[in-house]
Amino acid sequence: MEEQDKLKILKELLFTEEHEFADSIAQKVDDLAKIVHQKKELSHKVDPIIDDKLEEFVQEIPKTLGPTITETLREEIKNSQDAVVEALFPIIGKMIKKYIAHEMKLLSENISRKTKKAFSFRNWFRRTKAKVQGVSEGDLAITDYAKPRLIQMFVIEKNSGILIADYSPLSEGTIDKEMVAGMLTAIKSFVEDAFEGGNQNLELIEYELYTIHIQNFYSYYVAAVISGAYTMMFKEVLEDQILDFAKNNISSKDLENSTLFTKKLKKHFADEIV
Amino acid sequence: MKLSKKVVLLGHFGVGKTSLFRRFMDNEFSEEYKVTLGVQIKKKLIQLPDGRELSMIIWDTEGHSISIEDTRKSYLLGSHAFIYVFDLTREETYATLTKDLEYLKENYIKVPARVLGNKLDLVNEKEIRRQLTEKNIPFDGLTSAKTNKNVESFFLDLAEEITK
Repeated sequence: MEEQDKLKILKELLFTEEHEFADSIAQKVDDLAKIVHQKKELSHKVDPIIDDKLEEFVQEIPKTLGPTITETLREEIKNSQDAVVEALFPIIGKMIKKYIAHEMKLLSENISRKTKKAFSFRNWFRRTKAKVQGVSEGDLAITDYAKPRLIQMFVIEKNSGILIADYSPLSEGTIDKEMVAGMLTAIKSFVEDAFEGGNQNLELIEYELYTIHIQNFYSYYVAAVISGAYTMMFKEVLEDQILDFAKNNISSKDLENSTLFTKKLKKHFADEIV
Repeated sequence: MKLSKKVVLLGHFGVGKTSLFRRFMDNEFSEEYKVTLGVQIKKKLIQLPDGRELSMIIWDTEGHSISIEDTRKSYLLGSHAFIYVFDLTREETYATLTKDLEYLKENYIKVPARVLGNKLDLVNEKEIRRQLTEKNIPFDGLTSAKTNKNVESFFLDLAEEITK
């Protein structure tokens, strides 16, 4: 037996166990590689673990992330209030509109029910009117309450915006009328200039439940603040009344005497405009 | 009898019209510069030496960039006085002054226009007076809205003038 063969036999005797161990490791690595590289095999093994962890995570969210999310949202809303309001405004507006429509319907039904029970000349008249017009008594009652009312009237010099006279059937209020007259004139001038409508005049400003009726004359204009439903019929009547007032009461002398003008204005418009 | 007069502040952007307006109206001043868009209006009651009370309605208009002709004409109509403000530290704000005053004189014949150099606190008064005279720049007063120098007296003099 040669030296080479002897060495080989000795190696076999000494390393058989290690060989077997190395082979088994290689086999295991092969199996793992198979599992890792084949998605189906891997998901079969890993999915249950991930599912368990996810479920645990979801259950823990309110405790762990909840305060952070709430704090972040609060901070974001605080920092961008205008943007939030801007985004919410149309949504809230629609909701309010729907709510008001619903409440108005309920109110109308409620009024109809109550007026049916009560008897008075006024109710009898309204009932007859409702039958003739083919509308419900409730709707008519609501229309009565939404009747247009004069809140304030200003007579303003056209170019300068200086207040010549004013009248309010309600309390005097705290607004500075001279500044209102100036600002109204500035708005009016801006609109008339900006849209290049030739000699056309701004005649109406609407804001929420109020309407500013503007009637133009040569050197001055009349601005009447109206609450309630500003209907075409009311507009016609108001226009006629202002025209009557201008025709019968306003002279160039009056325009220079603010105190006298205010007295005349008050006298003319003291009665309710129908 | 009630006495009301409309006074319009005119001039280039950033000359301090709003600062003068705020200083005279509310005795306030802010270093923060905010461009006026359109116009803002305020009223000040002034006791005249003869005992009458004047409602001075001041229109603080947005500044023009090139010429006064850019100013919205409807804001100028019916005025009882104009105050043309320029910045003593920026020559370009009084470069068109003579031309602008001519324009006002031609288009608003009876309306007095007074010229005011503002930001006096940033220049040497003696030196700036010399320079303006040398350049033939007409002015009726030099003020500082920041330190309140000459502001009140300028407006009160104007009030007397337009109620004569």
